[in-house]
Amino acid sequence: MKKTIHINVNHKPFELSVEPNQTLLEVIREKLGLTGTKAGCLVGDCGACTVLVDGKPVNSCLMLAVQADGKQVTTIEGVETPQGLHPLQTAFVDKGAIQCGYCTPGMILSAKSLLDRNPKADEAEIRKAISGNLCRCTGYQKIVEAILFASRYSP
Amino acid sequence: MIMLLPRFQYHEPASLAEACRIMADLGGSVRPIAGGTDLIVNMRRKTVAPDHVVSLGRIKELCAMDLSGRTFTIGACCTVASLAESSDIASEFHALREGALSLGSPLVRNLATVGGNLVTARPAADLPPPLVAYGGSVTLQSSQEQRLVPLEQFFLGPGQTVMKPAEILTRIVVETPPAFSGSSYIKLGTRRALEISIVSVGSFLTLERPEGRIQSARIVLGAVAPVPMRARDAEKTLIGEIPSRSLFVKAGETAAGESKPIDDHRGTAEYRRAMVSVLTQKTLQAALERANSSQRE
Repeated sequence: MKKTIHINVNHKPFELSVEPNQTLLEVIREKLGLTGTKAGCLVGDCGACTVLVDGKPVNSCLMLAVQADGKQVTTIEGVETPQGLHPLQTAFVDKGAIQCGYCTPGMILSAKSLLDRNPKADEAEIRKAISGNLCRCTGYQKIVEAILFASRYSP
Repeated sequence: MIMLLPRFQYHEPASLAEACRIMADLGGSVRPIAGGTDLIVNMRRKTVAPDHVVSLGRIKELCAMDLSGRTFTIGACCTVASLAESSDIASEFHALREGALSLGSPLVRNLATVGGNLVTARPAADLPPPLVAYGGSVTLQSSQEQRLVPLEQFFLGPGQTVMKPAEILTRIVVETPPAFSGSSYIKLGTRRALEISIVSVGSFLTLERPEGRIQSARIVLGAVAPVPMRARDAEKTLIGEIPSRSLFVKAGETAAGESKPIDDHRGTAEYRRAMVSVLTQKTLQAALERANSSQRE
């Protein structure tokens, strides 16, 4: 039996009718059409599906959509500001931190959650913050450099 | 196309009494869900397919932490991240904080709950060794009764606990450590996140006074037996003694002898036994330093 949930995604309220066995990931991608959130391992190991729920990064494949009722969700589509790309997004592009791009939305959301709490995070804190996000291309170095750059030069 | 979870009916009680009533009425194929980081994975892999899932996430009393009296109470639905961030835990329960920070990844810790890490009864889980080391207990609630079970008696084997089908684990209760106490937890894995322990050890020490003799000790080994196990012979070598490196070496070797590890793809039994010795020494040393610098009278 479907349940009605109210969630706020990227500052827009939605009333959605969802099946209890649908994950937040499925609803974000298939009901809302926000395909920036990626489906990877589906068991919480890769972090490709990372979104922010009430500001905290979580694996959206491990959360039922019904559990997100009443919550604020931020996906990669909600990171851009009216002034343009978020400083983290600009840094990822400029520093070559994107190769295939599949881990990038999750990486940026984990990094954003860190910098929102700790704007001057150091390298060790950054590496810990992205430790649930796997990248098979970059070897992480350029990703860490991009986040460090954003933390040093963001206003 | 995303592989779908099996279908189930979802229940979202607002109170513990209502949750207990639902669990009792539904019987059989029902699972509580808290963080969901184990249940959803198991449903995805089709190893469980409950007809009913009962959410505990809206029950406020299950999400509270209370360190106001002689005991520290942790609601079962407190997230692992909230344990890692708690200033009370950081000041009094180092091993628990270290266990919380070892579990999964930051993403998993924001969802996973302390109760979930206990009820799944995985031999390599990160929170049982510290909580057993503090002599913790859990409250189990059903529509019929409420009972307090020491964690040492809670685990029966991999995935097996003393819980009855309609019971809900509601809170974890830990005595506030006496003065001059210290604790430490170390997890050994091949990587530093999203890792299942090869071996883990949690140790807790109380001294008579700073730089004094050891009054009490608990050493708990993870991933080297079907359940988290006390190294009781190793503990006995410590009681009444002046702490020293050679004493901790002896305790480590004794603990290694008591452990019952298996060979698997994560490590051989021989390697695990050797690492029990090393981690026991290291956790005792860290616990000692914390006990010596503990400020409370």
